[in-house]
Formats: sequence, structure tokens, C-alpha cells
Amino acid sequence: MRVSTSWMQQQSVNTMMERQGDLSDIQTQMGTGKRINQPSDDPVGAARAVELTHLGADTTQYQRNITSANARLGLEDQTLSSVSDVLDRVRTLTLQGMNATQTDESRADIAAELVQLRGQLLGIANSKDSQGDYLFAGNRTGAQPFISQGSVSYAGDQGQRMVAAGPGLQVATGDPGSTIFMDIPTGNGTFAVGAAAGNTGSAVAGATSVVDATAWNGGSYQVTFTAPDAYEVRDGGGALVASGSYDTQKGGMVAFNGVQVAFSGTPAAGDSFSVAPSSKQSVFDTLDGIIANFTQTNTGGPGMQNALNGQLSNLDQAVGSVTRARASVGARMNALDQQGSLNDDLTLQYQTALSDTQDLNYYDAVSKLSLQSSALQAAQLTFSKLQNMSLFDYLK
Amino acid sequence: MADLLSTGVSGLLAAQVGLSTTGHNVSNANTDGYSRQQVTFAARVPQAEGRYYVGTGVDTQAVQRAYSQYLNSALWSASSSKGRADAYQALTDQLNNQLSGSSNLQSSLDTFFGAVQDVANAPSDASARGVLLARAGALASTFRSLSGQFGSLDGQVQRQLTDTVASINSDSAAIAKLNERIRASTGSGEPSDLLDQRDALIKKLCGEVGISVAKQNDGTLSVFVGNGQALVSGTQSYELGTAPNTYDATRLEVVDKGTGAVLSGRIGGGTLGALLDFRSNVLDPAQNQLGRAALAMADAFNAQHAQGVDLNGQLGGTFFNVAGPAVQAASSNAGSATLSAGIDDIGALGSQDYVLSFDGSAWNLKDGSGATVAMTGTGTAADPFKAGGLSFVVGGGAASAGDSFRIQPSRNAAGSINVAITDPNKIAAASALLGSAAGTNTGSGSVGALSVADGSDANLFTASSIVFSSPTSYSIDGGPAQTFTPGTPIVHNGWSLTLDGAPAAGDSFGIKANANARGDNANALKLGAVANLGVLDGGATSVGRAYGQLVGQVGSAGSLADDAATTQTAVYNQAMAAQQSVSGVNMDEEAANLVRYQQAYQASAQVITAANTVFNALLGAFRG
Repeated sequence: MRVSTSWMQQQSVNTMMERQGDLSDIQTQMGTGKRINQPSDDPVGAARAVELTHLGADTTQYQRNITSANARLGLEDQTLSSVSDVLDRVRTLTLQGMNATQTDESRADIAAELVQLRGQLLGIANSKDSQGDYLFAGNRTGAQPFISQGSVSYAGDQGQRMVAAGPGLQVATGDPGSTIFMDIPTGNGTFAVGAAAGNTGSAVAGATSVVDATAWNGGSYQVTFTAPDAYEVRDGGGALVASGSYDTQKGGMVAFNGVQVAFSGTPAAGDSFSVAPSSKQSVFDTLDGIIANFTQTNTGGPGMQNALNGQLSNLDQAVGSVTRARASVGARMNALDQQGSLNDDLTLQYQTALSDTQDLNYYDAVSKLSLQSSALQAAQLTFSKLQNMSLFDYLK
Repeated sequence: MADLLSTGVSGLLAAQVGLSTTGHNVSNANTDGYSRQQVTFAARVPQAEGRYYVGTGVDTQAVQRAYSQYLNSALWSASSSKGRADAYQALTDQLNNQLSGSSNLQSSLDTFFGAVQDVANAPSDASARGVLLARAGALASTFRSLSGQFGSLDGQVQRQLTDTVASINSDSAAIAKLNERIRASTGSGEPSDLLDQRDALIKKLCGEVGISVAKQNDGTLSVFVGNGQALVSGTQSYELGTAPNTYDATRLEVVDKGTGAVLSGRIGGGTLGALLDFRSNVLDPAQNQLGRAALAMADAFNAQHAQGVDLNGQLGGTFFNVAGPAVQAASSNAGSATLSAGIDDIGALGSQDYVLSFDGSAWNLKDGSGATVAMTGTGTAADPFKAGGLSFVVGGGAASAGDSFRIQPSRNAAGSINVAITDPNKIAAASALLGSAAGTNTGSGSVGALSVADGSDANLFTASSIVFSSPTSYSIDGGPAQTFTPGTPIVHNGWSLTLDGAPAAGDSFGIKANANARGDNANALKLGAVANLGVLDGGATSVGRAYGQLVGQVGSAGSLADDAATTQTAVYNQAMAAQQSVSGVNMDEEAANLVRYQQAYQASAQVITAANTVFNALLGAFRG
């Protein structure tokens, strides 16, 4: 076949250009470390890389959220731990104050310390987080939630802030103050016992328990001692529910409708005690009740004992409420940690997939580079050889 | 023997022609479009000498170019395809570069939604809110900058369009002139160099636009473009021109300058074909797809934002401003009807443009490919035409038959998106309403989805209670009894509430404003979830995925263009090699020819010397 000399040269030049273009591509790839430098390099891979980058960014954000949630929950846990400490001290002081050896003066001293503790508790309940938000105000974090005007009222709401910790997983990063401090059931959580004001005997209501929850109907009852050794229980309508003999030697138990109350001391005929379903009382009211008992003069008798026994059950309920909240906070932090390590795994997985999709295989690229540069050298060599081959050179 | 001298001279002259032709070939070895020329010799008519003939030398019959019409046509066609492929590749390459640059939309989206989550983590934190607004601004600006880059590419296409048309016109004129000279000189042999020049111009024209060429009997070539539109006919050339699009005055179309007929849709091949093809098949869809993502982003985020309340206790306002569908009336509209278009259902919105035209009795909607799209409705404000996620309201005066409007649903969206709020306190992170079941309820009913159905209702924030008189009947705020159907939302005072579970008689549910909830992040969490919310394509495609689709779409156009350019270059090289194997100059061949004619010249001179010697011998004989 005839060949045109100028076309042959042009072809050689074209070949060199192409090889140089290939080299430049590899240079770009090796420079950026990426196989895909623009979408046309691999359209499917490029779209996938966009998706994987997005998933990676999402997961990173979930980790940020978890960090922020952990900080909030950690603060709540610490704060609740202080609440526990205060309540423990209150309990110790109350038990101390109930001791028969105390005098009015010493009880007044205890009451003074309890007043301090009440103030401390109020301060803790109104504590703020690092952003100046009230910790226990529900969602009304901008205004002080616990306001003490005589008794303490709650100005927050029931809202709970959630955090997105993973796809589809939201975890609460707070608890409304109402459930921790305000809406605490009285008595043993099912019912509460109270002594009538006019009791003249020395009977004191002690331990209470629910023996058979199915038999308890949540009604209000009146336990009346018809004699120092006999009692009867009547319901709200005055109908007799149960009656029996009272004997402290046998534990002084009064049992009816699946519940029982242990009495001690000697009642006078006509003394009565109410057994009513639990209502809600704030921990501050409980404290106020205890303080009020300790500041009354000339007390220490069965009346105070009965009242303090009741408040002590209420205090135990408050301690339980705080303990439950702490357990729940711990459980949430656990869940966040688990989601956190899952997110770490996912991040690694996305990064691996992204790297597989768009990163350059350097071994491959280096071998391609040497191949391409040899090809370019060959093209250059061919060109220079061809240039020296002309018949005109021999016609001299 | 006087003939020997003449024979020698004829050889001398023939060798001279051979030498100059070889010289011409060597000189033009690198001339583009040059065809090597060959000399044809023939023996002269011999002289009869009784019983035999004596040769009288050589005649130069012709100097012709080595030429194959078939190979040349193949080269023209390859040149046209290559011109198109090269221009197409250059343009898609630019578009790909723009998408690979720093203005990566996905990372802007991720950063933005990250900032939303940060607000959810600290709803009352002014700095987190400020950062969110800044990120929103950056996201909008990424949309605008990408759209702007697409726009500048569009501008570049327009300029190239004008330049290419000008170049085509000047080439057509030059071809017509050459036609004239060729026709004039056809009588005296073949004007090889003029023919070569014309062929070279045709080849150049092929690279600019797809053409067909017809040879006429008088030696002229006629050139046609599109559906037989003449560019050159004999010695006359006809110009192409550019004119504004009938719907959009800023967009140029290729027209026949004489008649004004639009040729854009009928031009294929060459740079011009590539420009028009790229514009309508790659750039416009890319701009539409980007706009669709912007619309979806703004629509979904605004809708969720309107469900919440800001730090001032106000319902969340518009967060992103974005331009809706663009309606363009045809410049030829004779009636006074006007059209307004809006988005009816973003999930059904496609990425194509529509044309709504009036045929004298009814309005018809066609999509970009010209297929008719069925519409519902009557086109009034109360009952608009609806199709493809859009709604159209025809207003103004009466329309004339043939009037039409073009609707570009998302063309301007990405270029116009911006953040509507500047006050960080106006980010609606909290939910607007609180729903709760009364503590004394005995049924299992609970407040499910509670949303703002009509933010303009004046009583939206008025506390209400729903009281059930029986498991299937309820009344709101002491109003008339209504039947409760599980799963059906209860709508009142602008809110909409779904009750889960089974309420019992006497149960009540309260709905009130979520007042003073600075720490509430419920709406911020839902705003964060918009990142992965299926908004487009009937809920299948999130905003980020729409961008991924755009990347894939542009990438595959680029990759196809790369492949086509490689293929067409190979085809062109092959055609060129075949054509050059016939018409190209080979230097070694010319060197050999040079030697050959040089030797022939020397030999002929020797013949003359011989004739002279013989003649001298004769003279010497007489001198004795």
C-alpha cells in the first residue's frame, strides 16, 4: 500500500499525542490518588461515590449527636447523683430526728439542716446545662422550672428532648423535672396510711405491703380500733370489709383486700387510721412535711411518729424515683454507646466501599505508568527513525 | 533524420513536465487537501515509411490528480462525524469538570443537614442556629453556582453557535466562488488545484455541519444541509443565520437566513450538530435535574419548617425561597390568553419541559419529545389543568388557535434558591402543638401524628379538647357529635390529628400550643430527617439521590462522548489513511520520479547530441 509521507508523520505525531494524553491521565490519577476524577471516568462509580460520601457524612453526624447526647446525659446523671446524696442525708436526719431521745431543741437543729438541704435540692432541680438551659424543665428550658412560693410549683412541661443516634434510632437526652421531683406517689406507691388527728392511743402505723395486687381495688378505707385489741375495716360507704383482733405479739397485722399494715403500740378504742390509694406529692412537699413535724414543739409522740412514718415512705418513693431515672439514663447511655460502635463499624464499611469505588490502585497505576511511558518512548523512537529514512538522503 | 532532433526535443519537454509535476508534488507534500498529480504520456503518431513506421517521440497527454470520489466521500462523512464527536466531547468534558470541582452539592447538603442536627442537639443555642443559617446560605449558593456554571456553558454554546454559523457561511461563499472558477476552467483540462481547494473546503464544512453534496454536470458541487436546505447551489451560496427562540428571546436557534425557517432540530453532524445536540440533550436536562433537586429541597424543607414554631412562638415561615415553574409565551401568540403554572405535586414532577398549545377549541399539553400528555381539570383557578405534578391556570383574554406557551418546571429553580430568613430565632425547631391523652382515660387511644394542616387558621393555637362519648363518637370543645373512624385524621382549628389505639367512652384528649418550649427539638429532628426523605419520583428519590442521578447522567453522557470521540477519530484516521494512500504524496516515490525524469531529460539531451553528431558527420562528409 502506498503511504503518504506527511500522513505517516501526522500519524506518528498523533500516536505520541495519545500516549502523552494517557500519561497525563495517569499522572492526574496518581496525583489525586483517585481513579474517578470526574463523573465521566466512571458514571456509575461517581454516583455511588456521592451516595457513599453522603452515608458517611450521615454517620459522622450521628456520632456528633451521640457525643452531644452523652454529655447531656452525663450531666443529668451527675446531677441526679447529687440529688441522691441530698435525699440520703435527709433520710438519715429524719431517722435521727424520729429517735425518742431527741428533744425539741435538737429536732429544731435537725430541721434547720433540713431547710438547708431543701434549698440545696431546689438549687439542683433548677440547675442549668452548659448552654444555660434548665436541665429539668422539659422543653421549657428558658424559664426556671421549680418555683418556691410556700410550696414548690413546676413551670416546665413534660417534653423530652430526643437525639438522632442512628437511622431510625432516637434516644431521649433528658427527663422532665415533673417525673423526677413532682409526681412522686405517696405511701408505698399503691396506698398510704394516715393516722386520724384525734387518736389518743399510742398505735403507730409501720410497714405496709401489698400481698395480693389482684385483690386490691384501689378504694379508700378506714381502719378503726374498736378496742385496744380489736379492729374493723370499713370502706368509704361505711360497709364493713374486715375485722379481727389486734395483737402486737403476733406482729400487729391488719390485713384486708390483699394489703396489710403492721401496727405497733397500743391503740385507744376509737382510734382510726385511713388507708387510701397513693396520690402524687412532690419531694419538696415531703421535705416540708418532715421539717414541719420537727419544728413543732412538745412532740415526739405517736402523732409525730405516724406522720414521719408516712413522710419517710414518701421520701423512699422519691429516692426510688431518682434511682429509676438514673438507671434509665444509664440504659440510654449504654444504647448510645452501642449505637456509637455500630456507627463506627458503618463508617469503616462506608469508607472501605468508597475507597474501593473511587480510589486508585497504585500498583496497577504504577505498572500502567511504566507501560505508557515505554509506549511513548517507542512512538518517539519510531518517529525519529522514520525521519532519517528518505531516498533523498541517498541522492547526493 | 531531422526527426531525431524533434523526437529528442519531445522527450526533453516531457521530462520537463514530469520534473515540474514532481517538484509541485514535493512542494505541496504538506498542503492540506492536496492530491498528488501524475503526468500521463503517450507516444506520438508514428511516421509511415513505406513498409514500416518510425516513432516520432512522446506527447504529454495530461497532468491529473490521483483522486477517488468514493474515498473522498468516505473522508467527508468521517470528518462530519469526527467534528461532531470532538465538539460534543469537549462540551461534556467541561460539564463533567464542573461537577467534579469544589462546588460539590452533596457535601454542601451533608454539611447543611449536619448543622440542622446540631440545632436539634442544642435547640436554644444561638450559635448552632447561626451556623445553620450560614450553612443554608452556603447550600443555596452551591446550587446557584452550579446553575451559574451550567448557564455560562450555555452562553458558551450560544457564542460557538454564532461563530460556527459565520464560519459555515464564509465556507459556503468560498465554495460557490470556487464553483464559478472551476466551471470557467473546465474546458481546458482538469483544474486539479482548484478542485483540491474545493474538496478541502467541503471537508472543513463537513466538520462544521452535516451536509450532503451533489455533483452537477457543469463541474460545480451543490451542498445541502438538514432536509435539503441548499447552502451552495452552483455559483450561488445561501446563508444560515441565528434567531431568538420563539419562547425564549435569549436563546438562539439556527435558521435559514432567507426564509427564517428554524433548522435547529434538523441539523445533525459537525460542530453545529454537536452544539445543538449537547444543548438540548445534555445541558438542558442537567439544568432541569439540578433545578428539580433545588425545588425538592426547598419544598420538603419549607413544608416541615412550617410544622414547627420558632423561638418567638411563631409558626415557621418560608425557609428557602425558590422560583417556581417558568412560563414563556410564544412570540407568535395572537390571542391575549395568559398562563400561570405552579407545582401541584413535587413527587410527580419530572425533569422535562412542556408546551401547552391551543388548537382553537381545546388546550393540549406536549412534552419535550412532542408526545401528548393527558391533563385533568378545566384550566380555571378553581379547577386547574393538572399533569406531571404541575397545575396550569389559563387566564387573561381569549386565546387564538395556534397560541402556545412553554413551561419549564425547574429550569430556573437552582439559580434562584436563597435563604428566606436571616434571624436565627426564626428557625422553627420546636413542634407547634402538643397533644396529650387525659390521665383518667381508660381506653388505649393515644395521640399519633399531630400536624399543622392550615397555618393561617387564627384559632390554631387555641387549646381544644376532644371528648369521646362512645368508642365511635366524639365531640370537639363541646361541639356536635362526630363519628370516629380509626386511622382517619381529626381536623379542627387548622390542625390535623390521628388517634392511635381505641379510645373508650369518657376519654378525652387535649391539644394546645407548645408554648415557651425553647428546648424542644422535635421539629428540628424532623427537619434533619428531610435529608433522606423521599421527595421526588413518588417518594423514591431524596434530594441527595437526585444529585447522584445528575452526576450519573452527566457522567454517562461524558463517558459516551469520550467513547464516540475515540471511535470517530479511529474511523476518520482510517478514512484519511485510505484517501491518502491514493492522493497523498510519498517522498520516496517523488525522489524516484525525480531521478527517473532527470535521467529521461539527460537521455533526451543525449539524443539531441546524437542528432547533432550525426548531422555534423554528414556535413563533414561534404566538406571532404
